Amino acid sequence: MPKLIDFKMIFTNIPLLLQYLPITLGIVILSMIVGLAFALVIALVRLNKIPVLTQFFTLLVSFVRGTPILVQLYLSYYGVPIALKYWNYYNHTNYNINNIPAFIFVFVAFAVNEAAYNSENIRGALLSVDRGEIEAAQSLGMTGGQILRRITIPEALVVALPTLGNQFISLIKGTSLAFVAGVIEMTAEGQIIAGRSFRYFEVYLSLAIIYWGLTVITEIIIRLVEKRINKFRTVQKVVKLNDALSASSEVTPIKRPVQVLETEIK
Amino acid sequence: MIEIKHLAKTFSNHEIFSDINLTVNTGEILAIIGPSGSGKSTLLRCLNLLEQPDQGEVTIGDSHFTAPHISKKQAVKIRQESTMVFQQFNLFRQKTAWQNVAENLVTVKKIAKTAAKERALVELDKVGLSEYANFYPGQLSGGQKQRVAIARSLATDSKILLLDEPTSALDSELVGEVLTTLKSVVEEHPDYTVILVSHELEFVKEVATQVIFFEDGQIVESGQPKDVLSHPQETQTQRFLSRFTQQTIAQ
Ligand SMILES: Nc1ncnc2c1ncn2[C@@H]1O[C@H](COP(=O)(O)OP(=O)(O)OP(=O)(O)O)[C@@H](O)[C@H]1O
Ligand SMILES: [Mg+2]
Repeated sequence: MPKLIDFKMIFTNIPLLLQYLPITLGIVILSMIVGLAFALVIALVRLNKIPVLTQFFTLLVSFVRGTPILVQLYLSYYGVPIALKYWNYYNHTNYNINNIPAFIFVFVAFAVNEAAYNSENIRGALLSVDRGEIEAAQSLGMTGGQILRRITIPEALVVALPTLGNQFISLIKGTSLAFVAGVIEMTAEGQIIAGRSFRYFEVYLSLAIIYWGLTVITEIIIRLVEKRINKFRTVQKVVKLNDALSASSEVTPIKRPVQVLETEIK
Repeated sequence: MIEIKHLAKTFSNHEIFSDINLTVNTGEILAIIGPSGSGKSTLLRCLNLLEQPDQGEVTIGDSHFTAPHISKKQAVKIRQESTMVFQQFNLFRQKTAWQNVAENLVTVKKIAKTAAKERALVELDKVGLSEYANFYPGQLSGGQKQRVAIARSLATDSKILLLDEPTSALDSELVGEVLTTLKSVVEEHPDYTVILVSHELEFVKEVATQVIFFEDGQIVESGQPKDVLSHPQETQTQRFLSRFTQQTIAQ
């Protein structure tokens, strides 16, 4: 019987594919950062009901959520050059479309996609922030920007993080479509290797293992961050050290009033 | 010093007050009593611009504003003149006790973090909470939370204190510690100008220099605490106080 599955190849593929991990991560991180910043802007515009922009963003969010990411990638791929042509025409510039790296099309599509998906989540999280704390910050004489940065966003993050985490993970997986816009990342490289060796199953299994690993690592990191930003929910038990000491031994109680033990809820 | 002239505030067709005139001199402690919904909180919040007054003129400390045209920048400055203690404490729940107290120092006064922490610890010590500096609000009792809030106000160095029912959200056994703290604060700072909304009448008698009875957005009666509280002249005040004492006794 011929060798149906080349088990060794599944593993030898992995280092080859991982060479393209930086591209995948680059798309993910850049789109996430820009997407989140844009999402915050959309959320703030919609919360403050700024005319025209609110309607525009509402439409944009609805459109992005209602169309497949694959179609959006194609729209970006064909749309960005058209936008550039218009720009050249109206501003009498002469930028060359061929100089735009394929990365940009992918980045634009994913960033807009992230912004649309996260803006609702962020809007809800911002709304959940306690009015009283914002008023306390105002009465301390903090400016709107300071309050946003130091009170509102950290508070909202606690609420938004689980959903943001899920969105981040689906972005990692979503980058496997970037090849349609001409970017060679892990999946695209996998297709090249498979085309050369005709070992499609093995290559896709290698890819699956890598994406799975990335997702698991991301989940662990998110859980650590969650634990850290939820630190304020821990319960502290105050034990009077002096009482404990004098009860248990003859040691003269030292002058250190309390010892703090931290334990977690649940 | 606080000087209020013709202050008016309406919430969407619901007029809270239309013409408040009031002066609190430096070093004075004005207590405001009155039924629920009469507009006491709204008045304090207008002084801190947490509500936008519709009309009127206010001098607060070194600042002055004429409603309703107040720019954001001016509002930030006016808020720094006074400091407010809220009924519900309004501590920053993600910050520890000392971080709550240091927030104004770090963010508004741009003081270095270590110096701000040192100052915060001093203020926490004054309210008897130095041991709790690293506790989060969720780990403190109501009384402790309010004392942290008082420390946070003291750290701003504002000489105008706005206290909106600082003990009414507390279980009765915790009221005493907060009142003791407040009493030592006003005794230690005779140069502070204080407006206190409170129905702790014994405490009001002890510390206030002036009392007003407030109803339906009107100052019905004002005077020395012993006069207004023990020998009220107006029937509305009498009715409120007798009902109020009956309730307190019943509890
Ligand atoms: N943001 C708001 N929008 C609309 N109405 C409001 C708002 N804030 C307060 N009010 C109304 O204004 C009136 C006065 O409220 P305020 O809180 O000033 O009363 P108060 O004297 O402090 O009462 P309490 O003793 O219950 O604290 C109330 O009828 C209240 O419902
Ligand atoms: Mg009130």
